[in-house]
This record gives sequence, C-alpha cells and structure tokens, in this order.
Amino acid sequence: MTGAPIPQPLCRFQAASKWYGPVIGLNDLTWDLPPGITGLVGHNGAGKSTLIKLLTGQLRPSLGRVLVRGHRAWTAAARRHIGYCPDVDAFYEEMSGRAFVRMLARLHGFSSKTARERTDDVLDQVDMAERADRPLGSYSKGMRQRIKLAQALVHNPDLIVLDEPLNGVDPVGRVELIRLFRSLADRGKSLLISSHILDEMDTLADQILFICRGRMLASGSLDEIRALLDDHPLKVRIAAPRARQLAAELLRLESVRSAALESEGQLLLEVQRPKEFFGPLAAAVAEQACDVQRLQVIDASTEAIFDYLMETAKRPR
Amino acid sequence: MSVDTAGYRRWAGRQLPNALACWPIARSGLVLVLRRKLFWLLLALAALHFLFIFATIYLKFQIAAQNPGLERFVNQVLRSVTGTGETYREFMFRQGTVTMLVLAFAGGMLVGDDMRRGGLTFYLSRRIGRWHYVVGKLLAIGLLVSLTTTLPALVLYIEYGLLTNSFSYFRENLGILVGILGYGLVMAVTLALLLFALAAWLHKTVPLVMAWACLFVLLPALGELLQDVFDDRHWLLLSLWRDIRLVGTWFFGGIDTERELAMLNPSLAIVLGVCIVSTLALVPRVRAVRVVQ
Repeated sequence: MTGAPIPQPLCRFQAASKWYGPVIGLNDLTWDLPPGITGLVGHNGAGKSTLIKLLTGQLRPSLGRVLVRGHRAWTAAARRHIGYCPDVDAFYEEMSGRAFVRMLARLHGFSSKTARERTDDVLDQVDMAERADRPLGSYSKGMRQRIKLAQALVHNPDLIVLDEPLNGVDPVGRVELIRLFRSLADRGKSLLISSHILDEMDTLADQILFICRGRMLASGSLDEIRALLDDHPLKVRIAAPRARQLAAELLRLESVRSAALESEGQLLLEVQRPKEFFGPLAAAVAEQACDVQRLQVIDASTEAIFDYLMETAKRPR
Repeated sequence: MSVDTAGYRRWAGRQLPNALACWPIARSGLVLVLRRKLFWLLLALAALHFLFIFATIYLKFQIAAQNPGLERFVNQVLRSVTGTGETYREFMFRQGTVTMLVLAFAGGMLVGDDMRRGGLTFYLSRRIGRWHYVVGKLLAIGLLVSLTTTLPALVLYIEYGLLTNSFSYFRENLGILVGILGYGLVMAVTLALLLFALAAWLHKTVPLVMAWACLFVLLPALGELLQDVFDDRHWLLLSLWRDIRLVGTWFFGGIDTERELAMLNPSLAIVLGVCIVSTLALVPRVRAVRVVQ
C-alpha cells in the first residue's frame, strides 16, 4: 500500500555534532523542528548558540547533517528559507533603520525597487514604519529588536530564528512582539526562539527543546515532557473549604503519591502519572460536592521542568 | 497597519544572482564612511592637490594659446604637467598621504566594527557566502582608494586630452589610460586587502591608525635610513607605497632606468606577498563564531 508522501520537515538535525577544537558545542543531535513556535532553552554554554549557528548556516557540523527543506543549512538554497534575528544589536549607528533593512533585503537578491517595497511592508508589520528613518543610534532597545525582526522577515522566510528577541523590550512591547510571533506562527511560519527568560516560554512556545552541555535533554510540549518525568511527581495545590476530607478521598487514587495540608483549606498533592489524575479528581470533587476555589499546578512551568531535567542529567547513571 | 491585517504573501519575482550582493555591501560601506565629516575633510584635502594640477594644466594651455612663443618656456617651468604617463603616475603617487589617512580612519568603520560588534552575523546569515561579504568590503575600500587616486587621474587625463582640441591625444596615449587603470587597480587591490586584514584583527580605529602609520611612515623612513647606512637600495623596498608605484610604472610602460628595472621584480614579489598574506590573514576572521578558550 502506498500512503501519502511523508512531508519533509522544514529543518532536520541528523546526528549533528560540532566541535571547536577540544570543546564540544553540540553533541549528536537528532531532531526535527516542529511547526509553530519552538522554544530553545539551556544554560549559558549549553549549545544554544551553536545550534542556531548550525541552523542558520553560519557553521558547518563536524559530524552529521543539518538540513533545511532538504538543503544543507550552509547553502544559499537553505538560507533563503531562514530569517535570523541575532542577539547582537550594535549595528551601524549612523544608518537609518529603513536603509539597514533595505540593504539586507538586497543581499537576498531583490532588485532595488522590490527591496524598497518589501522593506516598507515589513517595517509596517513590526510597527516601525513611522520611526524607520531615524538613525539606528537613536533607537531604544525595543526599537532595535523590532528592526532586527524586520530584517529577519524581509525575505519572507519559512523559518524565523530569534535569539533572545524580548531582551530589553518593555512590557507593552513584549505583548506586541509576542502577538506578532503568534501571528507569524498562525500564518504557517516556524519560529525557533532562544530565551533565558523561562517564564515567557510558558505562554509563548508550543514546543520546547531543552539542551544541556551540547546534548538534547528533552523536546516536545511542556505537558508531554512533564508527563515523562516520573521521578518528579507533579505538585498540585488545591484550595477548597473542606480540604481535609478531599485529601482523604484523593489519597485513595493510585496516581496520588502524597497529600499535605498546607493550611486549613489548602492542600498540596504530589501526583504521578498526571493524565490518570485529573479525571478522577473531577469525579471526587463532584462526589464530595466540594467547592474548589483554586487549582494550581505549581511545577509544570518551563523553569521547573528545566530544573528537573538538569537534576536528572547531573545524576550518575 | 496592524500585524493581523498585514498580508503575508509569497514573493514570486526573480531574484538576482548572489554575486550582485557584493554591491549593496560596498555601497552601504561607502555611504557609512561618507556620512562622517572627517572623511569629507580628508577628501577635500585630496581634492586640493587635484585642483592644483587641474588648474595648472588649464593655465598651461591658456598661456600657450594666447602666446605661442611662451609654450616652450611654460613646458619647461611646468614639467609636472607634460601630459605623459609620468604626469598621472606622479599625481597618483603624491595622493598617497591623503589616501593613507582616509584608509586608516575608514578601516575601523568598514570592517573593524563588523567584527567587534557582531554585525558580521547579519551578513553571514543571509543567502550569500562569506566571500561575497569580503569582496563587497574590498570593493568599498577599493572605491575609496580610486576616489582619491584613479578617478582624479582619469579626470586630468580627459582634461588634458580635451584641451589639445583634437582626439589624437587620446588615440596616441591609450597606454596612459591603461597605465592609470593598471596602477589604480594594483593600488586598490593591495591596499584593500591589507586594510581588510589589519582591520579584521585590530578592529578599533586607534590601533589601526597606529599600525597603518608604522607600515606607511615608519617602515619607509627606516628603509631610507638603512639605505644610507648600508648603501643598498634594496632597503627602499620596505616602502610598500613605493613598491606599488614601481609595479604601477610597469603598466605605464615607463621603466627607463636599469636601477628601477632591477627593483621591479622584488617590488612585485613584495606586493604579491602582501596580497597573499593579507588574504590568508583575513580568512579565519570572517567567520561567525570564534571560540573563546
């Protein structure tokens, strides 16, 4: 039987490794970039920059392959699918934002007229059209981020790689940029976002790739990864008036490992296999006619999961 | 227009070949340099010498036209503007000081800042290779060199030819045109490669100016001194600007003396050596990532 052809991933790492002399930057990474927004999380020196440089074709892997739409990442054919927004923002201070974006557009082979049109279009998208004629040196950090984003979008790439895109952006600007990222993802673009602000990843990323010392620790949605962490039971805090009775009821469930009464009316549960927990919890609450005022999963955030993964990675095998 | 209403359509036009990407890099580099008042001042200095020669040529023809009896006298007095290859070669050679100043200050802006501030990443993450970047920047430096040497020399050549009131000057002196272009090319390529390599390693303007001064002021002075001490003309080869001139003279077909002829091959070897070493030196710097040990 012949099925439909398997769609080619936009970007694929095949056993990719990168050494800098004796230092290993990325170690045997095999990974396909999923559609939507993917967060790239790791400590300093974990290999995030190496992964990004390999993906954007600025480095070649020492071993393995990095493919973008089937082309090797360092080729021109691959680079036209990628828009890169680096973390550096010290560019030509005397140049205007518009001239900067237009110059980089021309490097993609657009004629002068097309480059101008695309620049205007993309500056509109990042809400910089009004301010783009000022010199870059007079821009705030947030405006620089927008200009960097504009130059990454100017050739309409399929994949946008953003290195710390929200650094230095004020809260209002962050909301706007996150909305823009989401809008790009909704239009079928893939975004790979590296950030050390893990709180942002909770709301921003559909998938997360955790890396440590050049190796992939985990990849997938936060829920999926959290569910795989058997050694670290999920902590769930429940606020309910009859917490003691509810605890007694919930302790009967196999998935509940422990229950602690934090205060009168507040319960902290340790849950294994979360998927098997929430259904019976709802049933127990209904049976007890318990008025649950608040239910909070306190360690399913990117930060908590990252800490657990790091703890697991450091443990001797 | 809001983000949500912005159309995000696929572009269906024809993209230009990668090689043409060198030009926007060169152009933006030149624009950056010419935004600074300092460079306009230096270019004005370069223009002073040019205007002097330009006016001298004009004056010579005016005097000769109004009083033909004085033509021979004028030719003897204004030997520097005879319209031969030497006129243009000497003009280009004498533009050296101001050209060196322009390059010393431009190197940091054109190349050093890209290396120091990480601007290289913006270029290298696009669909161009690093050689496009290198060629683009070399083109920018080469154009700056040409702006103070080759271009004004060409203008003087055209002026001289037009003032003769016949095209025979151009027909008979095509070799001069080849000489100007050849000398200009040697100058542009050698200086561009050298400046790129130095700026890629030194990054900042001050160390770059100091290194440049060592190469083009200290070394020639040392060469003169050693020549006097050891009575050996080969020490003069330490002056790269002089070496370039000798190679350039070959393009004018004007190496007359045995002494100059004997120095031609060593000069050529030095110019080629500088180009090769500079190319080898810049290659490892034009990479996106450097490992900090």
